[in-house]
Amino acid sequence: MLLAIGGIALVYERWVGHALIAIIGLVLMIYVLTTGAMLKGRIKRSSGNVFKLHKRGGIYFGAFILGSFGYGLWIRLQHGESILSSIHGKLGLIILLIVVLQLIPSLFLKNRTRYRRLHKIVGYALAPILVIDASWGLHDGVIAGTKSDLVLLHSISGGLAALALVWILLEMLHPTDRSLARARIASYFAAFLVTAGCWIAGGYNYLTVYGSQVKPVILTGPHPWVHEIVMEAKEHIFVFLPIIAFALSITLSVLDRDVFLSDAKYRRALAMIACLALFMVLLMFLMGAIISDTGKTGMEV
Amino acid sequence: MKESATFIASAAITIFFTGCIVIAHDASTDFKQSLAAFTGHHWISVSVITIVLFMLFLGLLLGSKNARKSLRVYDIKLWSTALIVVTLLMMLGILAELVARYLAD
Repeated sequence: MLLAIGGIALVYERWVGHALIAIIGLVLMIYVLTTGAMLKGRIKRSSGNVFKLHKRGGIYFGAFILGSFGYGLWIRLQHGESILSSIHGKLGLIILLIVVLQLIPSLFLKNRTRYRRLHKIVGYALAPILVIDASWGLHDGVIAGTKSDLVLLHSISGGLAALALVWILLEMLHPTDRSLARARIASYFAAFLVTAGCWIAGGYNYLTVYGSQVKPVILTGPHPWVHEIVMEAKEHIFVFLPIIAFALSITLSVLDRDVFLSDAKYRRALAMIACLALFMVLLMFLMGAIISDTGKTGMEV
Repeated sequence: MKESATFIASAAITIFFTGCIVIAHDASTDFKQSLAAFTGHHWISVSVITIVLFMLFLGLLLGSKNARKSLRVYDIKLWSTALIVVTLLMMLGILAELVARYLAD
């Protein structure tokens, strides 16, 4: 996702500020989640005081979310709009509130034993919300104005599928007793999102809205290659992705736990397949942004 | 399960054949029209064919011990590498075909 956002920002310079915020936010979130998972023993601990790293990462992440919310507020005010008039802004506010609720008790409560479970659940819940908000921001910045809500569902599904694939990767690279069970859940999510959100919703949009509204605009515009090459490649290369996601998901579901834990070669092979699927999701993201931006520019002319 | 690379092998073979169909349908207008006539749109036809091929190869491999043995589906490293190589090659093939056709037009 970070690579996709970075790539899009390189293609569309006006989007660099938003892209930087999304990338830094996601990197900090991954850091806090990883150190949190190390504290719980979900993934192997690195050397050093992990609690201190988790606490420090959480503070940086909180400060960054506060800063980016302020930046968003400032931008919206410059345009004379309320920040809460957009879903992106509302999600930003929800994220800010969650981060505050995560940070304040952690810093001030002396006995955190009873609070830990809630802290863990809310922390993990924050990841998909942040990915949805970043995808929504991507939609607002690059795609908005050209397509239906179906495209939004399509891109959010892609973002969440990427998150599920990263989750599988982490479970493969840092195996524990319960890694296989969690990797299975993540793979079911990935297969479902790729099929329902990307294949069916994206396909329906391609067959109905894209063909009649966007395609003619791109073909008559200055960049017909965007349809002739990028869209044509995207629509056909994508078909491989659900097959890979299903193969990975079924393989994980029939895999024996002892083989998973003892056979590093097996885990590495599955991690490589998850990497391939992730690469394809990100490529689709980048291609989709190029197509949507060209369609949007064509419609504005 | 020793032969759980069966699913990866089925995916690799399916992607190879689907990739070939996509490249062929981009190169031949007649083939593209026949695919479009099959379901009403060539993309839906390719999607349906992909699902059918995956089920077919999966059924074939799960049902035949000889096929699994001769294709070495117990070797996860071999088939995961094959899946990655086939997918990347087919992606490049599709892209090269589209670029060549665009430049020729």
